[in-house]
Amino acid sequence: MMDWLQAHPMTVVGLVLWAVGVLWLMPGKQAGSTRPKIPGLLLTAAGLFAFCLSCGKPQTQLADEVMFWVFAVSALLCGVLMITARNPVYAALWFALATLATCGLFLLQSAPFLAAATIIVYAGAVIVTFLFVIMLAQQSGAAGYDQKSGQSVMATISAFILLGAVAMTLQQEKLEIGVPVVVAKAKETNAAVAPSPPNMSAMMQASGSGSPAGLPTAPADAPEEKPAVPGNLLSSADPDHAVGDLKGLGRSLFSDYLFAVELAGTLLLVASIGAIALAPRREQGAL
Amino acid sequence: MTPEDLRFLLVGAGLFILGAIGFLTRRNLILMVLSAELMMHGVSMTLVTFGRIHQTQEGQIFTIFTLTVAACEAGLALALVLSLYRKSHSLDIQLWSELREPDMPAPVQDAPARIDDGSGSYGDTPKLTPAGIVPKDPPRTKSSAGASSART
Repeated sequence: MMDWLQAHPMTVVGLVLWAVGVLWLMPGKQAGSTRPKIPGLLLTAAGLFAFCLSCGKPQTQLADEVMFWVFAVSALLCGVLMITARNPVYAALWFALATLATCGLFLLQSAPFLAAATIIVYAGAVIVTFLFVIMLAQQSGAAGYDQKSGQSVMATISAFILLGAVAMTLQQEKLEIGVPVVVAKAKETNAAVAPSPPNMSAMMQASGSGSPAGLPTAPADAPEEKPAVPGNLLSSADPDHAVGDLKGLGRSLFSDYLFAVELAGTLLLVASIGAIALAPRREQGAL
Repeated sequence: MTPEDLRFLLVGAGLFILGAIGFLTRRNLILMVLSAELMMHGVSMTLVTFGRIHQTQEGQIFTIFTLTVAACEAGLALALVLSLYRKSHSLDIQLWSELREPDMPAPVQDAPARIDDGSGSYGDTPKLTPAGIVPKDPPRTKSSAGASSART
């Protein structure tokens, strides 16, 4: 842990600044104690900047870099403003902005369909419904319970300790995500049996060779050093389609996960019936 | 795992943490549900990043299913919030503190919200010169009666 503290001081500084900013912006225990927002915003922004700066220096293009910074900082800043907003309508709008920024990050990760679906579901449906309920329930303006927060210090400190632990785990040098045991076994069998069996290992190699151009990690000169990492063996990656390709996504969704898709549709039906059954009836009186 | 993947994972963890703080500190029912949705954004970001690390579609597919479940959850949560609001006429979570565990201390009761004091004192309303006969007391509205009974 001390090694990590010495190796990544920017992460710690960023986390501390960010936590102090969140605590500053949070409504206090007494209603009406309004601190000025500018120092909290500055602290939060500085903490976010240091936190994102400590994540390493990837070799990406300048446009990707700028897009990542804009989307990541706006997503986290909108999240902070959402959980500290006094007015629930503003909180819902900040949440919509955070959703949009998250969808931008999805786009950067070559998930365009997911970005579009998230915008449609969240910004289109969820936020509008939430705003309806807020306006229905709080017609008389700001309520007293929105001006206060319970146990904000404990919650913020423990949450940021958790975030620091996650960051420490992710920034371990020897952490190697993405090499499941199955691959090691397959490589052993592949090395043992000289004529490679055409079943599993061939499929894995095929899945590994279909890496898109968006990931500049695998060095071209040493393909053996970087093991090909397949995902689920029941649906290995299609070598013809890159990750996030809509055609491959739809094919996998409606062939490998067809039962789950049907199940999700059933779940939607059950949830809509349940929402209708739970909602207040008209004969039970108006709201 | 490249530094590029690392920073996406850290942003996902940050969104999750912010949602957790919001869920723990806010007292508005709707904002608690919204904070849970923010946590789900962080989880989605992590799933997509892991899918890209493994070079498979499974991260995105699982996120699509998560999106479906989140939509169901939002609908059901709003129906529940509406039925709770019909009973207590407030979105305050502390009005439902009797549902807590029996060994937990009671939350600190604060001054009633200024929406519905029900006592007839309306604060800053302009005063008119009294004229005509003295009217009877206006009947208490249903909302203020329900709120005061729910608080006591």
